Amino acid sequence: MARATETRSDLPSRARQQRLDRAFNPRTVAVVGDKRAIGYLWLRSMSTFQGKVYSVQIDPDEIPGIEALGVPNYPSLLDIPDEVDYVVCAVPRQVSPRILADCIEKGVAAVTLFTSGFAETEREDGIRLQEQIGEMARSASGGGLLLIGPNCMGIYNRRLGLRNSWEQPAGDAGNVGFISQSGTHCINFSLVGDRQGIRCSKAVSFGNAVVLDAADYLEYMADDAETEVIGLYLEGVKDARRFFSVLRQATRRKPVVVWKGGVTEAGARAIYSHTAALATAPAVWDAAMRQAGAMQTESLDETIDAVKALVYCTPGTGYRMGLVAMTGGQSVVITDAFEREGLEAPLLTAASYEKLSGFFNIIGGSYRNPLDAGGTIGWGFLPQNLQKLLDVLDEDENVDAIAIEVSAGFLARRMRENPGILDALLDTLSAHRERSQKPFIAITHPGHLEDVTAMVRSRLLERNIPPFASFEAGAKALRRAIDHWRFREGLD
Amino acid sequence: MSIVDVIDRAKSEGRAVLTEIESKQILEEAGIPTASARLARTADEAVEAAAEFGYPVVLKIVSPDVTHKSDVGGVKLGLDSAEAVAAAFQEITKAVKRQQPDARIEGVAVQKMVRPGIEVIVGMSKDPQFGPVLMFGLGGVLVEVLKDVAFRIVPLEPRDVRQMIREIKGFPVLEGFRGQEPADLEALEKLLLKVSAFVEAHPEIEELDLNPVFAYKDGALAVDARIVVG
Repeated sequence: MARATETRSDLPSRARQQRLDRAFNPRTVAVVGDKRAIGYLWLRSMSTFQGKVYSVQIDPDEIPGIEALGVPNYPSLLDIPDEVDYVVCAVPRQVSPRILADCIEKGVAAVTLFTSGFAETEREDGIRLQEQIGEMARSASGGGLLLIGPNCMGIYNRRLGLRNSWEQPAGDAGNVGFISQSGTHCINFSLVGDRQGIRCSKAVSFGNAVVLDAADYLEYMADDAETEVIGLYLEGVKDARRFFSVLRQATRRKPVVVWKGGVTEAGARAIYSHTAALATAPAVWDAAMRQAGAMQTESLDETIDAVKALVYCTPGTGYRMGLVAMTGGQSVVITDAFEREGLEAPLLTAASYEKLSGFFNIIGGSYRNPLDAGGTIGWGFLPQNLQKLLDVLDEDENVDAIAIEVSAGFLARRMRENPGILDALLDTLSAHRERSQKPFIAITHPGHLEDVTAMVRSRLLERNIPPFASFEAGAKALRRAIDHWRFREGLD
Repeated sequence: MSIVDVIDRAKSEGRAVLTEIESKQILEEAGIPTASARLARTADEAVEAAAEFGYPVVLKIVSPDVTHKSDVGGVKLGLDSAEAVAAAFQEITKAVKRQQPDARIEGVAVQKMVRPGIEVIVGMSKDPQFGPVLMFGLGGVLVEVLKDVAFRIVPLEPRDVRQMIREIKGFPVLEGFRGQEPADLEALEKLLLKVSAFVEAHPEIEELDLNPVFAYKDGALAVDARIVVG
């Protein structure tokens, strides 16, 4: 099975990290082998880059198209009249050793090999070629060349506009780092995440990991001042013990969310032909993640949700919820959803019930916890009552965190009568969030009004209130975040 | 003999599996509470050992070739007199010779009959990627069926052992289910940490099985032990 080639750069960790820093924050980038057939993917992605971009292409049919994009083209990396920090190489696989040799001679910090057709083909020639490029990179003079990939999309630095897809946002960078064995998941995290209020600081897709593996990038992101939360998509790690110890260190400094692909038997087969990584026994993997203090997720959505809770919530370490829904039916299922994740809905204190009895409308409602509060708060439009209710939960010592349903259906109906009412609701929720020391999340079901939901979601995010698409999603995300905050506090 | 000596001797004899007596000897030296056992080559030696331990005692076959001792008639429990011990010695050696004629028999292990406790198992095996991994679960047949066990990567920290004990579904049994006495969780935690430190210090240990460990309201004791070296 061990057809993936030997891993790890031989560089000492410090030097490797300094070089990675240069690659993640380049001043000059060169793209080798971009072409019309892939829509000039790379040069178009680099159009937002704040530094200098060069192209290397020798095909006379491709050069005019490249120059039309306004990018200076050279026949070789060595001809570029500038120091080059980072290279993206998109040449056919048999040419890749030659480009690697040029990268080494040019003294670049790192090269991303977009090219595929290596060990993941499970064929002798691909495996041998992967061994060859790995050996070249490792044994390069000056401590080796950092090789990212092959079979990957490389580095995304949002602040610098260094992208690996032309749809990705540039500028207005955030604080979330993402490390992905898959290019698709890396790009989707940056795109879908952006719509969900998660802005990347940096991201990297690293494919077959022939020289640099997940642990190297994780070490870098754990140290990176621009990154406060880290997400990973992994298919396998080559030096599991090193990854485990790097992860154990990283989680003591920043929350780390790990999404592992290929956990089923058939999924593990798919992994091998994707990135040639070896599968791990799920029970051992789960144990290692829990032990290292990482949060585990099972999909892109779960990963984004967990990161969202970590980015937007005030940290808290208790599992007892104050749950607010708009109708009786929703009160029941919001409670089930949170209880299933081990987030209880306890009875409130006598003092709270005393206060609630003063204004709570029990006709068609109830307030034991969950609070069936639609009538009392006018389905979001009696802000004074909403504020009183949130104050009660905030002051209640039996409540550690609060979740509220923000119903797009009720909102859409009421906004027809009074369009300004959404602002009053948001002001109330936002004021609560500012005052309260307890984690606070909103649930906005997409339901049948997806456009209203999308609007409400982005308006909530503007006020730093994290919205989730279902009670289940909100409960799972909050549970993971609380587990992390407990871990950081040294609680079991 | 020290831990290293015991392992070296087994290796020099071409054995990967340590006998129960050897296994317990090095576990004891590592500070892991163990029901100690002594090798008796003759019925007289067995009686002598039993007198020292105090009755009742247990006799178990000692053979590098026998894995499941009770399956071949190699175990006798609750022996409460010199006569019973001497007779049991003969019965065990005869039964094993009959059932497994090729088995090399070194003798019989004499061990004090320990008071019963809640049965748990502690194991270590090597994961091809993560290296030594510790396993904890409740003992008995049900556990084999339900696979109700928890894993942790070596080395374990105090938080890891606290969590892994509480992670198994059968944890309420250890908390004192239906009027049973609760297990001494602190003693179990200590035992697991010691096993972790022990296997970390001795990478030549490939596998370790403490099955069962008796969890008492005051302490924990490895009753049977099996160690495989590489």
